[in-house]
Amino acid sequence: MLDMILSQAVNGLVLGFLYVLIAVGLSIIFGMLGIVNFAHGAFFAIGAYFALVLNREFGWFAALLAPIATGAVGVAVEMLLIRRLYGKEPLLGLILTFALALLFEAILRMMFGGAPVPFTAPKFLAGFVEYGPILITKYRMFVLAVTVLALVAFWAFLAYTPFGRIIRAGSRDAEMVGLLGINLPIVLSGVFGIGCLLAGLAGMLAAPLWTVQPSMAAGAIMPAFVVVTIGGLGSYVGAIIAGLLVGITTAMTIQFYPEWAGAAMYVLMAAILLVRPRGLFGEKWERFE
Amino acid sequence: MNDHSINRSKFGTIGRRGLLLGAGALAASRLPMPYIGNAAAAEPIKIGMIWAKTGSIVDQAEYLAQGSMLALEQRNNTLLGRPAEIVWLDEPNPQGAQQNAERLVGEHKVVGIVGGALSSFALAISAVAKKAKVPFIAANAAAGALTGSSCNKYTFRLQPPVDVHTNVLAPYCASIGKKWYVLTAAYAFGQDIKKSFTDYITANGGQVVGADEVPVGTPDYSSFILKIRAAKPDVVIGGIAASDLTTFLKQWNELGMRGKIPFAEIAVGNTDLWGVGPEAADGLFTLTWYYQNPNNPPEEKAMAAAYAKKYNRPAADKTWMGWMGMKALLDSIEAAKSTDAAAIVGALEKWNMKRGAITAGYRDFDHQMTNSLLVAGIKPKITDKWDYFDVRAELPADEAGIEKAFGSKANSACKMDSL
Repeated sequence: MLDMILSQAVNGLVLGFLYVLIAVGLSIIFGMLGIVNFAHGAFFAIGAYFALVLNREFGWFAALLAPIATGAVGVAVEMLLIRRLYGKEPLLGLILTFALALLFEAILRMMFGGAPVPFTAPKFLAGFVEYGPILITKYRMFVLAVTVLALVAFWAFLAYTPFGRIIRAGSRDAEMVGLLGINLPIVLSGVFGIGCLLAGLAGMLAAPLWTVQPSMAAGAIMPAFVVVTIGGLGSYVGAIIAGLLVGITTAMTIQFYPEWAGAAMYVLMAAILLVRPRGLFGEKWERFE
Repeated sequence: MNDHSINRSKFGTIGRRGLLLGAGALAASRLPMPYIGNAAAAEPIKIGMIWAKTGSIVDQAEYLAQGSMLALEQRNNTLLGRPAEIVWLDEPNPQGAQQNAERLVGEHKVVGIVGGALSSFALAISAVAKKAKVPFIAANAAAGALTGSSCNKYTFRLQPPVDVHTNVLAPYCASIGKKWYVLTAAYAFGQDIKKSFTDYITANGGQVVGADEVPVGTPDYSSFILKIRAAKPDVVIGGIAASDLTTFLKQWNELGMRGKIPFAEIAVGNTDLWGVGPEAADGLFTLTWYYQNPNNPPEEKAMAAAYAKKYNRPAADKTWMGWMGMKALLDSIEAAKSTDAAAIVGALEKWNMKRGAITAGYRDFDHQMTNSLLVAGIKPKITDKWDYFDVRAELPADEAGIEKAFGSKANSACKMDSL
């Protein structure tokens, strides 16, 4: 039994890291822009479809450009639509991003049809390795490595670059940053683009594992919201810890109470919110109070 | 947009010159004839269609809807000498399916409904059909209750119920081994499969070494697959539908299980496997129809050719089911010479179609269509991106076999009500 628990825990970690990648983008967009992005799942799907097309036309290494392409779509959406909502009624943001989610799904359906499209991992990442009771596929190890690398790189970007410092300052007091002569609109476009880039990266990595179809956003957006809520809205560290918690809890529930597998993460969320209503690392943010 | 009126949508593409030319031609065509039009002749007959436009079953619903629309197009969009149109609404969930069925009846005044991509949706629509007294063809749902304990006079079902699929596939699975692991969806369809296959194997000296119910829309099956791997069954019986099955088979292959433990599932859709891809496709299945089956009747071959010409891809099993469900309804309206619900129900009970050695039709005591099924495996080498299946058998092969597989009136759980 200990073997199975160990095996499921490792498996849950991989699943959790994928959730983290989806959730971090959602979390930073809320933290910096104050927008709850219901279209985040759609950017995840767009990332998967970009990877599909680039892989089909130019090979697997070209598919690695999918997150950048998704980020570019995000920047365009922010410049055309999202920026008009800053400082306005939060409900407007919810309605717009919900409409965008439906619109992007319809566009994908129009372009590629509603049926799933085959997409498998590259041959050099096929197969699996076994360490005692632990079985992990090479592709999942690749997902794990890329996710950790992306999270560390993004953290370093926020912590050590001038642009990162502007983002952090802008998230706390946008007006003051503007008064200091910094072009905040460009910074905010960049933040939305980075959030979408992370969603696109998650979509690209999930495409060989999940079913690639226009409605695949639904499978991503709900766990992402749960992870962000558990971690605390806007918290980077919170999203990471919550993602791993959700992944491991789901895997363990499948092992011991499979009929509760779908509800496990919601039960976890309810339990944590009862103790900490702002989530594990949620802070009191003056501008959202 | 939730509504979709097929005929109206075409008008949007006609320019001013086309409109004037068309109006002129229409006016000229009426000149030699005496004017005998009336209000009823101008009013199109409306047929309701409820196939998912969103959600996990949307990939199958696209083919179901296209097949249904093709059935009306093949009649030049006319019924009883009047124009006819389809009103297509969504089924996002059982509640949504029920509300949209009520809208079709109350708002659009449809004379019949085809739809119900999932069993839970079909059961919800069926309740409305019974209450509103409108004929309903459930063309895809397989849960037994639809023509069993929840049957009613206005509901007809095309897909054979789970028990029939099980009777056809289970002997093949038992010949591989007697230790089964059952992985099914956590709703009516999956629960029927779990019960049906468990009953079969325990009655035949085998055992179920593990059983899990999986939530709909599960994105990651790896934890379930690790449990299956540890249980070491001879066969895995699946009961997960549409894109969930696609995801499962992709991860089954990714975790190196493809070819190691045989996988079997009933009533799969072609689209489920097309999405898996040739490298990962695996399993033994029952199918309701396959476009490459040489025994398909000429009318179905013509439908498949018309579909391929229009959509530039082969007709899927779901295309056939949407087409067959709509065709039965339209044929019955013509046979009844009326849009009266009772007359259409009477005509549906008499409707049939010769398919090889058997005659497909709805039984009057439970409104279940009796038909044969295909047992199919995945081709060892897939060279055509659409042609995945090797058809191994067509069962039941004759009328005697039909009664045995579908059961008799005495065995039916349906207590049919009156009109």
